[in-house]
Amino acid sequence: MKVKLLSYQPSMDILSHLPAAKLSEKELLGHLSFTFALEGISRACSHQLVRHRVASFSQQSQRYIQVRMLKTHVVAPPSVTAKSPKIFDSLIGQASNAYQALVDAGIPGEDARFVLPNATETNLLVTMDGRSLMHFFGLRCCIRAQWEVKELSDEMLRQVREAEPELFSGAGPYCCQLGRCPEGRFTCGRMGEVVEKYRV
Amino acid sequence: MRLTLIARTPNPEAMIAAAMLTTTSGVKPSTIYERLQANPEKVNDIVSRLEVQHGSILEHNRLVWILEADEQLVLDTLLKNKFFTFTRLGSGRWLMSANLRAILEYSEEHGGDLGDSLLDSICTVVPNVNCFAERRRA
Repeated sequence: MKVKLLSYQPSMDILSHLPAAKLSEKELLGHLSFTFALEGISRACSHQLVRHRVASFSQQSQRYIQVRMLKTHVVAPPSVTAKSPKIFDSLIGQASNAYQALVDAGIPGEDARFVLPNATETNLLVTMDGRSLMHFFGLRCCIRAQWEVKELSDEMLRQVREAEPELFSGAGPYCCQLGRCPEGRFTCGRMGEVVEKYRV
Repeated sequence: MRLTLIARTPNPEAMIAAAMLTTTSGVKPSTIYERLQANPEKVNDIVSRLEVQHGSILEHNRLVWILEADEQLVLDTLLKNKFFTFTRLGSGRWLMSANLRAILEYSEEHGGDLGDSLLDSICTVVPNVNCFAERRRA
């Protein structure tokens, strides 16, 4: 997985025009956008990403780009590689062969891709405004988030904190943002430890 | 009504071109963007061929203005396009932001003083996108 903050407009560009305005951080965040290149994540991960609707996505198309060498372009979950790598590798090999056979038979890429697994790697651009990013971090940096999207959101948070340290100093999972855990009976029970981890 | 562009994401046309190529190329988006930043002619060539209905490629940016207008215009704009963001700065003074897709769609569908002023404000920032907008309005 590779995450890179490609573009954003610094908050100072706005604030320098508004010396007397009292703009809350929340209000300011809504006017800022952050564009990331996300590379080598699984389709399973990108499916979780696109559930965040106040965002923009430009994702590599499986209609127009053939998947070559599937075996070297999959994301393998650590739990699988630790316990059942043969089952996983076998399925990837079968999917790879089936995909290639369909393409060779003249089936359009948009149909051949139906046999590709969720583990298939994808690349995309994603843009979120600052408020949406805070919500994304609130949900996806949480210990309960799936490991890949949590790894992704932790890295995105690290990079926006470099770009805008003050604005994102309170960012992190919702327990850090709210001062309480909103997960109810699903709480991890480790709020103190989590808050400490995300403290700047 | 008075509109003043005060901030924007850098090099928006390079990002539009990168978004276009990301969907149809096997090259990684960060590599595409880096190459395009160093090649403005290529960016011009790609963006000047903009002919798509997939507006998401126009969303990887944000422009921020100070708008001097009455509440009626702000309400009217929000009712017409939910992708504009407003913050009240004072009486008749607003901080307004949107991405290029929202700007183009608003200008094309509703025009008016605000639509025209929005297009005027982006003509030097994204010249190829502006030409695209003019073509669509013609």
